[in-house]
Amino acid sequence: MKTNLTCAACRSELTALVDGAIHPAVARAILSHVESCAGCRERLEAHRLIAEHVRRLPSIEAPAWLEDRVVAAVTRPARVRRLARRAAALALAASFAITAGLLAIYPKLAAQYGLPTPGTAFSRAIGGVIDLLVAVPKQVAAEISFYGPFARQVWAAFHTLGALPRAALVVLQSPESQIAGAFLLTLGVAIFWILRPSRNERGIGHACLAL
Amino acid sequence: MAADERELVRRCLARDDRAYRELVRAYQTPVVNLAWRITGNPDDAAEVAQETFIRVLRSLHTYDPDRPLRSWLFKIASNLALDLIRRRKRRPIALEDLSDEDGPAVEAVDPGPGPEEGLRLEWAEERFQALVAELPEHYRAILHLRYREEFSYEEIAETLGIPLGTVKVRLHRAHENLRRKLTAREPRRGTMP
Repeated sequence: MKTNLTCAACRSELTALVDGAIHPAVARAILSHVESCAGCRERLEAHRLIAEHVRRLPSIEAPAWLEDRVVAAVTRPARVRRLARRAAALALAASFAITAGLLAIYPKLAAQYGLPTPGTAFSRAIGGVIDLLVAVPKQVAAEISFYGPFARQVWAAFHTLGALPRAALVVLQSPESQIAGAFLLTLGVAIFWILRPSRNERGIGHACLAL
Repeated sequence: MAADERELVRRCLARDDRAYRELVRAYQTPVVNLAWRITGNPDDAAEVAQETFIRVLRSLHTYDPDRPLRSWLFKIASNLALDLIRRRKRRPIALEDLSDEDGPAVEAVDPGPGPEEGLRLEWAEERFQALVAELPEHYRAILHLRYREEFSYEEIAETLGIPLGTVKVRLHRAHENLRRKLTAREPRRGTMP
C-alpha cells in the first residue's frame, strides 16, 4: 500500500536521499513510499547507479611538469631580484676595472692619439666645474635683479604704509605679486597633499611626520 | 583545518620552496581532475591547475585558516575552469582522445569495476562518460565535487559560491538529465532502469 507521499514529491527528493542529505524523518517517509511504488523504486535504483557510475569515472594524472612550473613561477620574483643584484655588482666591478685600466693606460693613449695630457685634462675638468659654479650664482643674481623692483616695492609698502592689509592690497595689485601668490598657494597645496596623513602607513606623509 | 595543513601553510608563507612543492603534490591530482571534468580537455585542465596553484601560493596571506584549504583550492580551480569554458565556448572533448599518442602527457587512470559488478556496469561505462561530458559544465562540476571528492552539499555551496538550495536542485537535475538520456538510449540493455 502506498503512503500519502505523491510520486512527484518522492522523486524530487531521491537524489538527496541517495546522498544522505535529507532529514531522517523525510527519508523514512520516502523509503516507505518507495517500498510500495515500483516506479519510484526503479528511479531510486537509477539514481544510486548514477552516483556509483560518477564515482567510477576515469581520472587523469597531473602532468609531471606542473610542480616545477608552479614553484618556478612563484619563486621567480625573488630569483629575479637576486639575479639583478648580482648583475649590478658585476657591472659595478666591471666598470671599476675598466676605469682603472683606462686611467692606467691613458697617458700612453694620449701620446699616441694626440689627446690632452693628463695634466691638461684635469685642469680642463676643474675649469668646467668652476664655470658651472660661477654660472649658477650669476643666473640667480640675474633673477634677483629682475625681481628686485618688485621686492623693493613690497619692502617700501611695508615701511611706508605700516599696515599689513594695506601693503598686501598694494602688493597684490601688481601682476608679479599675483603670480607669486598663485605660485605660493599651489606650492602650499602640493606640500599639504604630499605630507597629509594617509591610511597607508608606508606613505610619504607618515614617513615625513615620523621624522 | 588539520594541524599539518596549518603547518604547511605557515611554511609556504615563510617562502619555503619545499613546502610549495608539498602543497602542489598533495592537491595536484584532485585539482587537475576537477578542472578536467569541467573543461573536458586535459591540456586546459593542466593550465587551470597551474594557474590555480600560482594564485593560491601568491595570495596565501589572504587565506582564512579556519576554512578547509581543499575548498579554497577547488573554488579557485572551478572559477578558473568555468571562466575558461566561457571564454572559449568549446565543446568538451571525448575521453577517447586521451589515448591519442600524440596528445598531451597525461594518462587516464581507470580504477576498473570490482569482479562482482563487472557485468552490471559493463554496458553503461563507455556511454556514461560521453553522457557526463554532454552535461552543462556546472552540472559536471557539481557531480564531480559530490561523488569524486565526496563533498557535502554545504561544502559544494561554499566552493562554487552558490546557495545550498541551488546545489540540491542542480544535483537533482544532473541526475535526472543522465537518467533520462540513459533510459532513452538504452531501453533494453543493462540494468539501468
